[in-house]
Amino acid sequence: MTENIDRETYSAARVRALESLLIEKGIITGETVDKVIEFFEKDMGPFNGAKIVAKAWVDPAFKQRLLEDTPSAIAEMNFPRGMAGAEGEHMKAVENTPAVHNLIVCTMCSCYPWPVLGLPPYWFKDPTFRARAIREPRKVLQEFGLEIPESTQVAVWDTSAQIRWFVLPERPAGTEGWTEEQLAAIVTPEAMQGAAKVKVPA
Amino acid sequence: MKLQHYIGGLEGLEPSSFEKRVFVQPWEERIFGIHVAMMGLSNHLAAVKTVPTQFKSFWTWGHLRKGAEGLNPFDYFKYRYYEKWLGGISGFFVESGYVSPEELDAKTTAYLENPAAPLPQGGEPTIDEQVMEYLRVGDSPKVDVAVPPKFKVGDVVTVKNPAPVAHCKLPGYLRTKQGVVDEVYEGAYNYYFPTGDGVGDPMPIYNVKFDSHDIWSNLTEPKTWIYVQIFEGYLEDPA
Repeated sequence: MTENIDRETYSAARVRALESLLIEKGIITGETVDKVIEFFEKDMGPFNGAKIVAKAWVDPAFKQRLLEDTPSAIAEMNFPRGMAGAEGEHMKAVENTPAVHNLIVCTMCSCYPWPVLGLPPYWFKDPTFRARAIREPRKVLQEFGLEIPESTQVAVWDTSAQIRWFVLPERPAGTEGWTEEQLAAIVTPEAMQGAAKVKVPA
Repeated sequence: MKLQHYIGGLEGLEPSSFEKRVFVQPWEERIFGIHVAMMGLSNHLAAVKTVPTQFKSFWTWGHLRKGAEGLNPFDYFKYRYYEKWLGGISGFFVESGYVSPEELDAKTTAYLENPAAPLPQGGEPTIDEQVMEYLRVGDSPKVDVAVPPKFKVGDVVTVKNPAPVAHCKLPGYLRTKQGVVDEVYEGAYNYYFPTGDGVGDPMPIYNVKFDSHDIWSNLTEPKTWIYVQIFEGYLEDPA
């Protein structure tokens, strides 16, 4: 039967069947999955990380605290409860500079700091990225549209224990005098994993 | 060896996709939500004891990963990320007796015939409260046990080469390689269950720095460092 149906149509029916049975059997409720999804749309997503980055750009003392003790610095800010929750229990920020470009990868799975970045995008979970980024990061970044100068050291961070890293990207030129809100609006999830630089919109 | 443990460094691959969406098919978010619910309702969490869910199992990232690492390695690369989740999680519910293969197939057929058929409604609200509480509180692996670290910043360490096990936290490319301890993370960390190759009990975690040329010789790029978080159980003094 399954050979004759489109792969996605089948998976969609299969997961709906599973969810339906789990609700009927009292394992989850009719609202559980929707509530989980909503949590990542409203409370925990890359919009949190963007605010942290923007604050670090305008407040050098905060930046210092963020790099030294990431959870305590984040706890100073006014976020919804849960910044040290699932997949954010032990986070650490690493700083990009003209001398060092950091790239985060999880070669064995897809560990990602949920409270600051939300859920991992597809490129981060792709086995091809995971395989290549750790050995030829410059080439992968070049394919992503980011040229790293030869003089810059590249540091690739492979999450394989219990700490979740994210990147504090470089503040782009041309943003002098911007407010934290304006700055946060241009920070992307890709930049906070080192796969892109923050750019000023043309 | 298990190919899934050796993904880092594989050669001969095509350019990486820079697909920025989290879910590339609408159904994928449903299996993600189910997995999060299972983690939030896992029986190892103290708060779950009083929650009226019929889920009575131990379910963590470790269990999901163990399933993916147990796949035929060629199948591993055939299926997309959430396809592997769907296969692993539905397989778990069938094998654990929560759902029979017949009823899962019958329901699947019913939704294929009528994709717009609604999901059942209702359920105990405290189940959802626990799942959301899990998301906000987490499940920290850090334990309140004093375990003095064997290594300090600057120490040269050798990565062990333990026999392969069903689920492993050691990237294959690091085995037998030497690096330098860059940071000793504060405290001791357990893993959800003993992996059988040295991880599970509370132990220190280190950030270890490697020169990519010490791992891949000239098959890597100039000026590249690799930092990896490694459980102490995978490290030893260079002999």
